[in-house]
Amino acid sequence: MTAALAPPQDEAQSELQALKRAARARRVRFLSRAWPLLAILSALVLAALFAPWIAPNDPLRQNLMGRLQAPGSEVRGVLYLLGSDELGRDLLSRVIHGARVSLLVAISSVLLSGVVGTTLGMIAGYLRGWPERIIMRLTDVFLSIPAILLAIIAVAVLGPGLVNVVLVLALTRWPRYARVAYAQTLALSNAPYVRLSRFMGGGTVHILLRHILPNIMGALIVVATLEFGLMVLFEASLSFLGLGVQPPTPSWGAMLAAGRDYVATAWWISVFPGFCLFLLVLAMNLLGDLLRDHFDPRLR
Amino acid sequence: MTRYLLRKLGEATLVMFGVLTLIFFIQRLTGDPTFLLLPETATQADIEAMRHALGFDRPLMVQYLSFLADLVRFDLGRSVIQNLPVTDIIGSRLPYTLMLAGGALAVSCLIGIPLGVVMALNHGTTFATVLSSLVVAAQSLPTFWSGIILILIFAVSLGWLPPSSAGGFSHLVLPSIALGLLSMATFARVTRTAILDELSKEYVRTARARGVGMGRLVTRHLARNASIPLITVAALEVSNLLAGAVVVETVFAWPGLGQLTMQSIVSRDFMVVQGVVLLGAFVTVVLNVMADILYSIVDPRITLSARPS
Amino acid sequence: MMKRQRIIAALLMSASLSWASAGAAAAKDLLTIDLVNEPTSLDPHVQWNPDSYFVYRNIFDNLLTRDDSGAIVPQIATEWTYLSDNEIEFTIRDGVTFHDGTPLTAEDVAFSVKRITDPGFSSPQLSQFNSITDARVSADNKVVLVTNGAYPAVMAQLVKLSIVPQHVVEAVGNDAFNLAPVGSGPYKFSDWSRGVSVTLAVNEDYWGDKGVFKEAVFRAVPDAATRMANLQAKAADLVVTINSDMAAQLDGRDDVKVLSVLTERVAYFALNAQKPPMNNPDLRLAVAHAMDKEGITEGILGGYDEPVGQFMSPAHFGWVDGLESPGYDPDKARELVAAAGEEAKVPFPILTSPVYDQRVVQAIQQMLTDAGFNASIEMTDMATWLKDMQAGPEGIPVSAFSRWSCACQDADGILFPTLHSSSGWASAGDTALEAALEAGRSTLDEEERLAEYTKAQAILNEQNYLIPLYQAAIIYGAAAGLEWTPTPNESLFLNRMDWAE
Repeated sequence: MTAALAPPQDEAQSELQALKRAARARRVRFLSRAWPLLAILSALVLAALFAPWIAPNDPLRQNLMGRLQAPGSEVRGVLYLLGSDELGRDLLSRVIHGARVSLLVAISSVLLSGVVGTTLGMIAGYLRGWPERIIMRLTDVFLSIPAILLAIIAVAVLGPGLVNVVLVLALTRWPRYARVAYAQTLALSNAPYVRLSRFMGGGTVHILLRHILPNIMGALIVVATLEFGLMVLFEASLSFLGLGVQPPTPSWGAMLAAGRDYVATAWWISVFPGFCLFLLVLAMNLLGDLLRDHFDPRLR
Repeated sequence: MTRYLLRKLGEATLVMFGVLTLIFFIQRLTGDPTFLLLPETATQADIEAMRHALGFDRPLMVQYLSFLADLVRFDLGRSVIQNLPVTDIIGSRLPYTLMLAGGALAVSCLIGIPLGVVMALNHGTTFATVLSSLVVAAQSLPTFWSGIILILIFAVSLGWLPPSSAGGFSHLVLPSIALGLLSMATFARVTRTAILDELSKEYVRTARARGVGMGRLVTRHLARNASIPLITVAALEVSNLLAGAVVVETVFAWPGLGQLTMQSIVSRDFMVVQGVVLLGAFVTVVLNVMADILYSIVDPRITLSARPS
Repeated sequence: MMKRQRIIAALLMSASLSWASAGAAAAKDLLTIDLVNEPTSLDPHVQWNPDSYFVYRNIFDNLLTRDDSGAIVPQIATEWTYLSDNEIEFTIRDGVTFHDGTPLTAEDVAFSVKRITDPGFSSPQLSQFNSITDARVSADNKVVLVTNGAYPAVMAQLVKLSIVPQHVVEAVGNDAFNLAPVGSGPYKFSDWSRGVSVTLAVNEDYWGDKGVFKEAVFRAVPDAATRMANLQAKAADLVVTINSDMAAQLDGRDDVKVLSVLTERVAYFALNAQKPPMNNPDLRLAVAHAMDKEGITEGILGGYDEPVGQFMSPAHFGWVDGLESPGYDPDKARELVAAAGEEAKVPFPILTSPVYDQRVVQAIQQMLTDAGFNASIEMTDMATWLKDMQAGPEGIPVSAFSRWSCACQDADGILFPTLHSSSGWASAGDTALEAALEAGRSTLDEEERLAEYTKAQAILNEQNYLIPLYQAAIIYGAAAGLEWTPTPNESLFLNRMDWAE
């Protein structure tokens, strides 16, 4: 009865209030579940940022007399807290510096492929017609080429190195974003507010950036989070195939690949970087799952 | 439907032509196999003679056109490394890849789907969180490492299974697990979402209100309704499995197409690479079309002729 | 739940039993060998590839062979005499038959030589045999080979000349012969399961030492860690290409062992003497002084390999006792680099490929950094590596880690292609050195040749166009029962292997 008597304005007001409350509740629930993951990720990011100050030793300094030392050994006054690798380098320092490489590769390749893929996908979904045909066929073409092939070609033509690893990863992964952005844009392009904006003379760029991008961001962030873990794993696989970041630069993937030969005798070489890599990928993937639930209206 | 398929066919041909053209030219940016075939002591003249014998000294366009001319006659060419027709080589490797993909799909479905159901039914509990963490953990390690760990545990220490290579059924177990763990999380995720989706629907609520048991509900109604998105995912997951097979097949010395791709790229066996990529593109296209058709079954609002791309 | 577990356990058990029983039978009749890759071809004349010749050298006999100590000894040819500087007459062994029962004749030998030297056939091994201009049957069991001028390394090359049956090759054609090769060797071709394995069966009628294993299976296992696992799980009896750290894992086990031998392969640090900073002789000397060869062989390689002061091994003809290239002297290296000032600071790449031991490459980079150089590792794949390394003085990278074997154990096969400007590998451009190398290959007189190679090596030691590092060892992992002495020419002759329980 009281609700019926209340003026319509108040009703809208309270509905808005309720929506806001629900949104806040969802955010709180998300954070309450995500904080351990965010803590792990922050720790890894901090390690990467401050690697030179945290690492006890030079990650590149070899000591052929102190190879394959077990964790806690001391050789010539150098304490190997996590042991030493196949060239007598301090594993702890390499693991800390390795965070830089792994994060840098993953972040830059996700950003690059995300930006390229989203742009192309939105264009295809909004403009339709021949841009749509060309772009979507191009995604099919790129999805059909083995990533390893592109990696080898990039290394052979452009030369090896960190930048090229990122390029290869971006080159092979942009179609994922393009497809998601395309499908979402397609669904939105006839939404009333987009039509209104177009009617009022909004330019394509304006509409894409102001009206469409903010609304498809959620889906894209979920893809990017899940892709992030894949990028870390992919960089590791490239190292295993000898096409990754150049030695002696420490990357978790390369350390893990080198450590495979020592699993039975010097487990620490692969287990410590492997554990870090595992934590990073796991945390990102779980975060991706949480974000997916967070953005999924059916699960609210 | 026919019009849709015809248009798809046209598009697919275009895509495969694009892939092949791209592959043809970018591969040749990386040199040719001549140096790999000859001993180090070969002189410049020997190298040139071999290059001529293999036909790599011809202008690129000539090589390209002769490749296309052969292709029209369904001739994929000949491997200069293995001295065999490409179709023979791919034909001998394909069954192994199908076996491995089947094994991996079985592992990921048999573990992933039940876990997804359990996760959905316990939605919001700590138990579900722990389960989903475990599922995700299985795909958070590179296969080149988890593969060798599997070998060391189950073949070397316990001696239960053969460590590598193709042979009987027992040889298939370890590589299938290594590859299957990658897709397991995807299946668990999709199942969970699909079931949660169904759970929120009217008929389930009604049935539960009427006191229908949960187990009956899952097996009778949910399983069927949730299976369609699963089939779609399974179709798409196959191309992911083929990509993951490159590393898994190398680690387990499994003689499938993944290992062949890797070896052919490294040895500049252009014709084999083109053949494998063509096959891959074909499979991708077919799976996409199948997914589209399935979508139209799931959601009648989507009509095939209206669906772009 | 319990029931299901039991079923799974039973399944695993049955799977493992069937597999284990196959393994147990392997101990006596079946020898399983894990190679890195599958052979590309089993026709001995159409490829140059170690994984292929590991296999086909058991199917075919060669004109000559090397014994376990590396000396050239008769195989199909029982004796040979020089008719002149460029004509050699070989007597062909009686009573040798091919696997199809037909006798091996002098015609087959002449046919094999003509086949591999025919430019139209374009054998990858052509470069090793193209100084042979003719092969003719001079008597019932005699063949005369004609070379274009005196060719001292011809005997070393003939060790690799496999004899194929003329009648089979001509009847079935090259392609079919490749799929089902027929030879005269101690093992017969039995089966090739593409991508998986090649199976050979013992030749009971072999004229020489017969193999003790009824069958041998060569499998392709590209990953070294997997090969090790196969050996430890007894799924393989012999595995190739493992490194010293893997060998160390086998120490103290009584069911597996390490077999190793020094090969004729020499590891060296290649420099491009035309590109800065290595166009400065002082800086090349500094590189020579910076290389801690002992540190590499003892510290990393586990003592299997032997440091060398000459760019060849003691097994090569042309080795001069007492000759030493500039040795390890880090202080002097630093001095030289400091004296060169800015010139030494030019950044340069160390080209490498996954095939090479990356521990060694990284150690070399560290040594160069310690000396004051600015070198960074550049990894590429093998095809690109080979292309770049043979690109001539303009294209050869400033530095690279490399290993060289001519499979001929002769100074000519290692010095000429790496240092003479007619070769794509060479960047030295030293006329005095080239004159000595040319003189060394154009006479049969051993004393004269040795004098020329001494001269050449003296120039090399002064100019340091490349830095010899060590004579490489090849390490195999084997089941304890396998009795076998690996040979320096990296061959796997099954009939020289034995089994003891």
